[in-house]
Amino acid sequence: MTQRRDVLKAGAAGAGLAAFAAGYSETARRAVEGVAESLAPKPANAAPNIHGRSLAPEVRVDPASGAVTPNPGQQVSYTMCMGCTTFCGVRVRVDKASGRVLRVAGNPYSPLSTDPHLPYATPVRESFAALSRHGEKGLAGRSTACGRGAAVLTQMESPSRILTPLKRVGPRGAGRWEPIPFAQLVHEVVEGGDLFGEGHVEGLRALRSLDPIDPAAPELGPKVNQVALLSSTNEGRENFARRFLQQAFGSINFVGHGAYCGGSYRSGSGAAFGDLRQMPHAKPDLHNAEFVIFCGTAPANAGNPFKRQGWQLAEGRRDGGLHYVVIDPVLGNSDSLAARDRGRWVPIRPATDGALAMAMMRWMIENRRWNEAYLSQPSARAAQQAGEPSFSNATHLVVAEPGHPREGMFLRASDLGLPIEGDRYGAKDGPVAVEAATGALRPAEAMDGPAVLLHDAVAEIGGRPVRLRSAAELLRESAFAHSLEDYAATCGIPAETIAGLAREFTSHGRKAAVNTHGGTMAGNGFANAFALVTLNTLIGNLHWKGGTFQNGGAFPEAGAGPRYDLAKFDGMVQPRGLALSRNNQPYEKSSEFRRKQAAGRAYPAERPWYAASPQLASEWLLSALDGYPYALKALFVWNANPVYGIPGLRAAADAALRDPKRLPLIVAIDPFINETGAYADYIVPDSLLYESWGWAGAWAGVPTRASTARWPVVEPRAAKTEAGEPIGMESFLIACAKAVGLPGFGPAALKDKDGNPHPLERAEDWYLRAGANIAFAGQRPVPDAPDEELELVGLDRLRGLLEGTLRPEEWRKVATVLARGGRYQDAADTYQGERFAGKPVRMLHLYNEQVAAARSALTGRRFAGVPGWTPPAFADGTPMRARHQEAEWPLLLVSQKSVLVNSYAIGADRLRGLKPDNPVAIHPEDAAALGIRSGDRIRIATPGGDAEATAILRRGVMRGVLAVEHGFGHRELGARAHEIGGVRQQQRPGLAAGVNLNDLGIPDPTRPGLSVWLDPVVGTAVRQGLPARIARA
Amino acid sequence: MSVSRRSFFSGLSASLGGMVGAAEAATPELRAPAGGPRWGMVVDTARCIGCQACTVSCIMENAVPEDSFRTIVSTYEVREGDRAAMVMLPRLCNHCEEPPCIPVCPVGATYQRADGIVVVNADACVGCAYCVQACPYDARFINHETQKADKCTFCAHRVDAGLLPGCVESCVGGARIFGDLNDPGSTVSRLLAQNESKVLKPEMETGPRVFYLGLDDAFLGKVEAEPTLWHPSHGQEAQS
Repeated sequence: MTQRRDVLKAGAAGAGLAAFAAGYSETARRAVEGVAESLAPKPANAAPNIHGRSLAPEVRVDPASGAVTPNPGQQVSYTMCMGCTTFCGVRVRVDKASGRVLRVAGNPYSPLSTDPHLPYATPVRESFAALSRHGEKGLAGRSTACGRGAAVLTQMESPSRILTPLKRVGPRGAGRWEPIPFAQLVHEVVEGGDLFGEGHVEGLRALRSLDPIDPAAPELGPKVNQVALLSSTNEGRENFARRFLQQAFGSINFVGHGAYCGGSYRSGSGAAFGDLRQMPHAKPDLHNAEFVIFCGTAPANAGNPFKRQGWQLAEGRRDGGLHYVVIDPVLGNSDSLAARDRGRWVPIRPATDGALAMAMMRWMIENRRWNEAYLSQPSARAAQQAGEPSFSNATHLVVAEPGHPREGMFLRASDLGLPIEGDRYGAKDGPVAVEAATGALRPAEAMDGPAVLLHDAVAEIGGRPVRLRSAAELLRESAFAHSLEDYAATCGIPAETIAGLAREFTSHGRKAAVNTHGGTMAGNGFANAFALVTLNTLIGNLHWKGGTFQNGGAFPEAGAGPRYDLAKFDGMVQPRGLALSRNNQPYEKSSEFRRKQAAGRAYPAERPWYAASPQLASEWLLSALDGYPYALKALFVWNANPVYGIPGLRAAADAALRDPKRLPLIVAIDPFINETGAYADYIVPDSLLYESWGWAGAWAGVPTRASTARWPVVEPRAAKTEAGEPIGMESFLIACAKAVGLPGFGPAALKDKDGNPHPLERAEDWYLRAGANIAFAGQRPVPDAPDEELELVGLDRLRGLLEGTLRPEEWRKVATVLARGGRYQDAADTYQGERFAGKPVRMLHLYNEQVAAARSALTGRRFAGVPGWTPPAFADGTPMRARHQEAEWPLLLVSQKSVLVNSYAIGADRLRGLKPDNPVAIHPEDAAALGIRSGDRIRIATPGGDAEATAILRRGVMRGVLAVEHGFGHRELGARAHEIGGVRQQQRPGLAAGVNLNDLGIPDPTRPGLSVWLDPVVGTAVRQGLPARIARA
Repeated sequence: MSVSRRSFFSGLSASLGGMVGAAEAATPELRAPAGGPRWGMVVDTARCIGCQACTVSCIMENAVPEDSFRTIVSTYEVREGDRAAMVMLPRLCNHCEEPPCIPVCPVGATYQRADGIVVVNADACVGCAYCVQACPYDARFINHETQKADKCTFCAHRVDAGLLPGCVESCVGGARIFGDLNDPGSTVSRLLAQNESKVLKPEMETGPRVFYLGLDDAFLGKVEAEPTLWHPSHGQEAQS
């Protein structure tokens, strides 16, 4: 279809429509109508032709009996969508004759597409009836694909798709390539050589050294760290790629896209949950919540899971008890007039969410509307006594004595001279609180009743007076740092509205929630997110029905599972050393610190460090190009696009990326040439959408256990390896591993639970065995799939593979999971009484000691352990507005999520037919001052670049804001025609439409070297609140 | 621009003058038995989140050509007093009781089935576009790939197979509810019995069988409306 339409465009511009009609419509007609005819051949006295080119139904369901008659011409397969990072379960209709995907809708077994989802025991045949008119089941049980999910299938036949390995010709980024055989690709990447006539390039074999990068700086780790892999998100295959790079090759440098996605939210939530590595987070229970504040996320525009939230929002505001507020600089789809008083948009200035949250906290504390009973529970034991599913460290005491060596740390049992297990200040040396009943200082975990919430007093500790303040007291002080009126003036929300929000938020017991996400990606994003999430802590809503809940998790597939050990193998390497983004070790333990300290000035470090963060893609590439803390020698970019997605990166990195001396080898693994892959030396075509294997969990918002399966419901289109495997990430990495001789891949690389060896030589060896781990997880494995189910979903095509790879007792169970598109715990297991079922008691953190202990590597100053209002700032703490004054840059740019387009969906033509452009929204009064009207071309300038765009005047934006919808302004993916083997690709100018906010991102003027603006605490990318000005173009 | 509900579609519909009465009544295809279903749709606008899943599903299901829509969700920003909010208005063929598109067809290609679905026999259609002009809801178009009149069929091919229309089965918010208006126990009948409903352009007296819940209040009096988010490259959508 893609091809047809693109030709139409070309035809319309060139020879005209007549040529199109003659050339293509016949093909298109056959392609689509052929299906219809296969179901019901037309008799001679044909019925009126009323269905045109509509697809033949995939099944017939007798409305009276529910009897299902499949269409033998079509395959209906339950698998996974990859149109965004939600990875919904979908049902894909395939025309058996042509192998083409016809249409995509939802998988009724998947909680990401259906709510409530079908009980797992439902036979596949019945699942079709459940979507039909039979008993009107299909209305309440509808299983949906979103607009993007319905449209992305056209990407499979995109003229821009890469199907063979490519090697660059001429300089990097020139857009000229030659197709090369797979064997040559692997040979060159592994052996290196003078690959481009530019000098010697080291290959993987030479780079696979466990010797130190720099013997003088052993903390950097081994040389293998100079090979890195940049991924996007765990779309079901990440564990495989990690096995190659981390456990087999041995590098520590594997990073996803979180730092330029919603990383500030994850880190802020991680601080509140007390886990800055896994960064747990919770979602509102929209089914039962009575009042929800969405701030920095818009549930009908985006969010993960988009559809599940959208459905629950719609249902809650129509038939349920849900009232909600969307606090955002831009009005999106979340507020509708039809929602009446149930939903309301409240505009807010960009990057001031923290001011709102702290103002609400101040009001709640002043009016004693925080849940003091809940917050007073100091321990899991006390929480259980009180019937609470969680508790907090609100009562735990922090050493607040200035100059005390433990200042800013929790007072520990050992400080009281009590005996402890393990190391002093270790995990078992627990914090101390003041017991409410006795007034005594006692280890919190020993208490089974409440402790004093607000405590600020001096006690004799270790023979000296020490001021001790409870976490709640420190939070109170932080909230009281500004008046409600000052907060209101900062965020642009009237004080009475803030008070009203706080009153409403605290008027529903536990049935209220705050939800945030990527809208926090500002220069104070971490602080803002920590503050917003802490509002939930203050009402104690975690794992209460109607409150917030953590995900149910996935059935583990790649661990030491019940059937196969996919976690460990002989010769496995434990990656070590300093990660490129300097996030896993404090600066104070580096040789640089020691060197500088010896020279008398320990701070600043050469660059920021991020001790409280996960790996940061935002910091990664520029660090590698700058050679700090060390340079990369080879980089794999796997379906990731930081050059498009990180604000300011293009401008900062362009010249360096073009210079092979700074990063000698870049290999993109991707079905398209994106803005990052355009700089690659080699492109390895990856599988796309429904062609590949994978096992993905739900990111959030699903309280029950869920693992979604992706399996090749159609034949992969990429060329084959010499061994006949489709070329893609797996076949490429396996071939590289075998060529280098890495452990963990090859004929006896895997072991089953009994220690018997099995091969890992093709994708199925991994994913089917991972599927066995899922099928056998828990107390009871899933049942066997009968032959009929294999046939109903088209798994019979893969039966030989299943039987040939798995054991006799395994393969039909894996088939059951594949046939249902995954394994899903039943929705009936969600609650236990008024609480979420199966959630362990969890401690939430008003005061995060790890953050409080960390220092800025640039200033040596410590960060705040409690949430607080702080304006957006650069790495050394300088407020952004101190460098880029409002007089010069009066506007602030914000990024808004699109319901249809994202960073890679732009190539799906049917979406562009609906949304061809992203006009930049500006308030009419701001526009009037500049003489700008809707439709005018404007020039947007920031301290990092400028771009031309179309203006649209909207009352639905905050004054002083420019709102840019994400996903447009592409330079690649088809927007530029590359020359491959001397043949020019099709040019698709529609893909270049609009503007990319990230091209307007700004550098950080407070740090040396290549930079982009990152959150000063956790290093996440800044795209909300970029200073800007506009003029008519 | 400032528009009232009435003028919402102004500029979209063509004048009816001079176009009526050219054709004899078409012979309907009587698939449904007497006393059979009368298909209709209820659009519960409070449930619509403007995601366009229906629009794209329809396109894929029915091979709707580029720049044309059998259904779309018109999305407007409106101002009511101090409040700015969105209005989502799912639009499709109303499968009217008195469809003005049928009598204007010179060849009898368009007709109404016994179950109320208004269809076009593409084999008979000559692509004159009289019906396109006659529809007050702008629900018809000439398919530029087939040169025939094209429109929503309630996915009759799916309904006849015991399934739901593509837009209904993939409606994320559950705003589109489809069913038998002749069956008092159907969801659509119950919703219409329990709620105040509206139809578009009631003054045209076309008897639409697509009913809207929660639409009327949004359009009482003057509202500021701007078709902001959705800009089809050309076609049916109003341009501000």
